[in-house]
Amino acid sequence: MKILVVEDEELLRVNIIDYLTAEGNVCDFASCFDEASEKIALYDYDCILLDLTLPDGDGLKLLQALKQQNKSDGVIIITARSSVDQRIEGLSLGADDYLIKPFHLSELSARIMAVVRRRSFKGNDLVVFNELKIDIQSKTLKVNNETVNLTRKEFDLLLYFIANKSKVVSKSAVVTHIWGDHADMADSFDFIYTHIKNLRKKLIDAGCKDYFHSVYGVGYKFADE
Amino acid sequence: MKLFTAYNRVLLITSAIGLLIIGYLFYLTLSNYLNKQLDSYLSEELLEVKDYTAKKESFPAHQLFEDLVIEYRHISSLGKKRHFGDTIFYNAKKRLEESGRYLEEDVVLAGQSYRIKIIASKVAHSEQITSIFMVIILPVLGLLIVLLVLNRYMMKRTWLPFRQLLLNLKSFNLNQEQGFAQVPTTIAEFKELNDAIVDISQRIKSDYREIKLFTENAAHEMMTPIAVINAKLDMMLQSEDLSEVQSQNLIDLYKTTAKLTKLNQSLLLLVKIDNNLLRDREQLNLKTMLLEKQHYFQEFTQQKGIEVNLELQDHTLLMSRYLADILLDNLIGNAIRHNHKGGRIDIRLNEEALWVGNTGHGEALAETEAFKRFYKSPSSEGMGLGLAIVKQIVELHQFGIAYSYRAGLHAFTVFFNNNNSTSLLNENS
Repeated sequence: MKILVVEDEELLRVNIIDYLTAEGNVCDFASCFDEASEKIALYDYDCILLDLTLPDGDGLKLLQALKQQNKSDGVIIITARSSVDQRIEGLSLGADDYLIKPFHLSELSARIMAVVRRRSFKGNDLVVFNELKIDIQSKTLKVNNETVNLTRKEFDLLLYFIANKSKVVSKSAVVTHIWGDHADMADSFDFIYTHIKNLRKKLIDAGCKDYFHSVYGVGYKFADE
Repeated sequence: MKLFTAYNRVLLITSAIGLLIIGYLFYLTLSNYLNKQLDSYLSEELLEVKDYTAKKESFPAHQLFEDLVIEYRHISSLGKKRHFGDTIFYNAKKRLEESGRYLEEDVVLAGQSYRIKIIASKVAHSEQITSIFMVIILPVLGLLIVLLVLNRYMMKRTWLPFRQLLLNLKSFNLNQEQGFAQVPTTIAEFKELNDAIVDISQRIKSDYREIKLFTENAAHEMMTPIAVINAKLDMMLQSEDLSEVQSQNLIDLYKTTAKLTKLNQSLLLLVKIDNNLLRDREQLNLKTMLLEKQHYFQEFTQQKGIEVNLELQDHTLLMSRYLADILLDNLIGNAIRHNHKGGRIDIRLNEEALWVGNTGHGEALAETEAFKRFYKSPSSEGMGLGLAIVKQIVELHQFGIAYSYRAGLHAFTVFFNNNNSTSLLNENS
């Protein structure tokens, strides 16, 4: 996938690019409004990560320009401003998703995957990972053509890990993904363990390889190793 | 006591006492003067009696002296000298008792000692006194009443701008956009007060605005560095040769960053509620939302073995969905977080109130403290902003909130109709 990262904070931009590149994406970047508008006009991207507060302009204007040029790039707004109004404005201007800083890179990666999938498959989306076949629409999982029943949270988790395959995903990121911002319960880390344990068991029982690898209690890695 | 009452009280007491003293003195002088007149009349009559007896050698019948009663009493020796006094006598003509003035003197008539008592009616004189008294005192009294009424009216009129100022001050709201309203007045003191209040309110407003702006900007500016830290941690996690110690450090760092994020979000949320930036009001079915929350928190309650009892009636409220969500999250989240294993959470919803009660550690919270920002019970791991946010949301929607601790249940009650809150609370306790 070809991704443009429009972000003026260099450290963050570098990290995002490193993480996404390691997943096999091609990343381009812009650190200011002018640079971004030039790149948007010149090239096509699968997904654009757009920071709204740029030193020399409002990111929402880039979004408008993009729509005027009839570009079909997916856009995920990444911003520190969490106002509801701005969120609605951004989404109504055609952004596909809205991510508030700070976020986990794994979350960003999952969102990018979802946006790109929505745009390119247009309804018929199937995620395949080795013997796993996931139908996003009907929320079903097939292992070796056998249906495996998953709870909604388990389904979400599996998709999340596949979006971040071969990466270590922190428990903290998983908690935020599953329970959102409001859940800051101290015990939520334990539930992640329980959910993953259940999911892992279901997959193995269905004849799937064990793709989950625990990393010293800090996170998990979903990989075919 | 109102200024007017205080002022009037002094005025009324002084004029009443003054009027009484003046009236008394006036009456005294007047009756004294009239008594003297009567006395000299009586003396003249006595002389006439003496003359008569000297001439005719007999006592005059009192028919000869109109309106007079003359009594003769035989006495053994001369004693008393001339003596005046007040008395009550029977007026035979009018056939009733009357007050009168008498003159008593011992005289020798035809060689015998007699005590003569001449009584004159005082009724005519009393009437005189009364009418003179009335003619003078009544207008004075009337004048006083007119002055009082006028005073009352003038005071009310003059203090009208002051009352308006007070009203404006009471309804002054820092968060309101419109500034402090000037009150039209011609009185210099009130004008000065008015200007001072307008000036101070403007200064407070601008200071407050700046503080809010500062908080908002500070919180926002912090989000990007936190995002960098978060991203760096995510990158560190990817390193192949992660040791166990490093992993443990990473866990702590993740937790701390999450806490910092949460703190920042809470501060931002408070600023937004303060500024009334979340105006997406819609009709919300609280019952449905509570049932969703029960599902959302299911794992947390199950893990702790907490029994959740719901007693919900359908109730719709006009609220911001975003804030209603946070309100319920915070209330229920608290009830879970501060609960013990195998505890209980009771949630009741009706048209008047939402009641969330939970078993928990420790004793009752200090009600006034509990809703303050950064207040934490000693066992709490949170930041102490949850309840402050709850209170802010409740206030924004003009609801009421109260905390109570009874029978081992910590309970928070959100009253949808703020006016009922106190009466309902009393009923409940």
